[in-house]
Amino acid sequence: MIRRVLTALALVLLAGFILMPLTQTILLSFTATLPHDGLREGQFSLINYRNIFATPALVDSLRNSLIYVLLNVALCLAAALPAAYAFARFRFVGDRHFLFLMLAFRVTPPVVLSLPIFILFAQVGLVNSPVGIALVHCLFNLPIAIWILESFIRAVPREFDETAFLDGYSLPRFFLRHLIPAIAPGIGVAAFFCFVFSWVEVVFARILTVTDGKPITMAINALFSFQTDMGLVMAMTVFSLLPGLAMIWFVRNHIARGFVIRT
Amino acid sequence: MKQQDNRAWLLLLPACAVMAFVGLVPLVTVLNFSFHDIFTLDSMHWVGSEWYESIITSPAFHASLARSLLFSALVLGVQLPLGIAVALILVRAGRLGLLLLLLVAVPLVVPWNMIPIMWLSLVNPETGLAGRAMAALGLAFDYKFTAWHTWVLLVVMDTWHWLGLVVILAYAGLSGIPPAYHQAAAIDGASRWAVFRYIELPRIMGALFIVILLRFVDSFMIYTEAFAINAGGPNGATTFLSLALGEEIKGFSYGSAAAHAMVYFLIVVTVVRIFVTVTDRHARSAQGGTP
Repeated sequence: MIRRVLTALALVLLAGFILMPLTQTILLSFTATLPHDGLREGQFSLINYRNIFATPALVDSLRNSLIYVLLNVALCLAAALPAAYAFARFRFVGDRHFLFLMLAFRVTPPVVLSLPIFILFAQVGLVNSPVGIALVHCLFNLPIAIWILESFIRAVPREFDETAFLDGYSLPRFFLRHLIPAIAPGIGVAAFFCFVFSWVEVVFARILTVTDGKPITMAINALFSFQTDMGLVMAMTVFSLLPGLAMIWFVRNHIARGFVIRT
Repeated sequence: MKQQDNRAWLLLLPACAVMAFVGLVPLVTVLNFSFHDIFTLDSMHWVGSEWYESIITSPAFHASLARSLLFSALVLGVQLPLGIAVALILVRAGRLGLLLLLLVAVPLVVPWNMIPIMWLSLVNPETGLAGRAMAALGLAFDYKFTAWHTWVLLVVMDTWHWLGLVVILAYAGLSGIPPAYHQAAAIDGASRWAVFRYIELPRIMGALFIVILLRFVDSFMIYTEAFAINAGGPNGATTFLSLALGEEIKGFSYGSAAAHAMVYFLIVVTVVRIFVTVTDRHARSAQGGTP
């Protein structure tokens, strides 16, 4: 009995701890924090959400973020799927070294590479473009996508491939027709992690958007000034949470699988 | 058994091309910069290992290295046991457990620069929920000027942010344990600790290695969140390695910044190498010594 009470208490504390900053954010987002439009400060209002859609820079930033994140997910999946298949099915010269290199890049701090990446991307015209951010986020997302997909492909029996090849399927057609449907949950989990890590990343997204193509994170930073409208900042923060929440809901049954590192 | 076939490299080509462009080329560029004194990118001159010598002997570097190591140690020391404990409770809590699992995952999807904004408004003594509560209790929480308050705020905030990762991965390992194991343990009258030590811990070992690795590198190189809280203050008390590097880059001291970056990269890669070696040995001994 005492045990159950203690467990329940622990769960309540945990939920409270996680919910506290979120509650604060949501409360502020529905509060008028600057006196405008005849509203008192601290009054409940929807004005912050209305202001988001009245500010073109904020609407654009939502679109910019979505574009490069989706591009990054597509790029990572396209490059990771054949690589993951190679690791799941074959041994080859240098395979372990390649995996270690991937791990090394995954853990390289962005701040270490930010300067040369800016110089390189400026030379090839990838600054201020969503393609540039989508590419650079592959640095940490591609290794993750490879690990996750590899563990899902490994769970598919080898006979599955051989039957398809005997039926005359070429490798690309086998990927599209058989492998991808067979590991659909794995694709979902990999897409989830790529989406999330790309969505929350700030260092690269900042240095690669100097004048244009600002992501949502930078649009929020730009709201800070001498007299910051915290309510508007918090309303934007709530918006920045929504895609992530949707992703969590989509993968809720698979989220706890497929995060196995192999080197 | 996997078959040996070097043509598999063809399947790696797209991944190799991307990683070469965004990883290898920039890394070689940093390495090159780190041996030069750079005024503009057109006028660089070779200084050999001078930057490295001045970094290795610099007391400021030693101090920020020590702060980063302490921060990583605190973060791992708090989040690892807490995350495992939460996962152990959640895995027994059925549907409610799954719901709470999704809840602890929510902070993971918050953009990193939003996290300090949320926490600063939470502890604001005039408008924040926690800030007002602490003021009402007579606690003077002053993260701006009291060093250990800044540290507490950073560790609590980081725990809020990343606890979900520990919980999810531990939960994944625990939920794969067949019920028969627990029934057998109950028949044998095994203690709670013995169940954890001999049944549950081995199942989450693999996931824990990943958690420790990711949590170590990310906390060791914390930048966005720490900078927004107090910009390394008060008085440099939270100037971690990456914050020191950020200052170098902002000061246009590219050669020195590149050398710093290389030193950090080498530290991280060395730790990862040791880690992988230890993990391999562990995996091999678990398989009964077969290589």
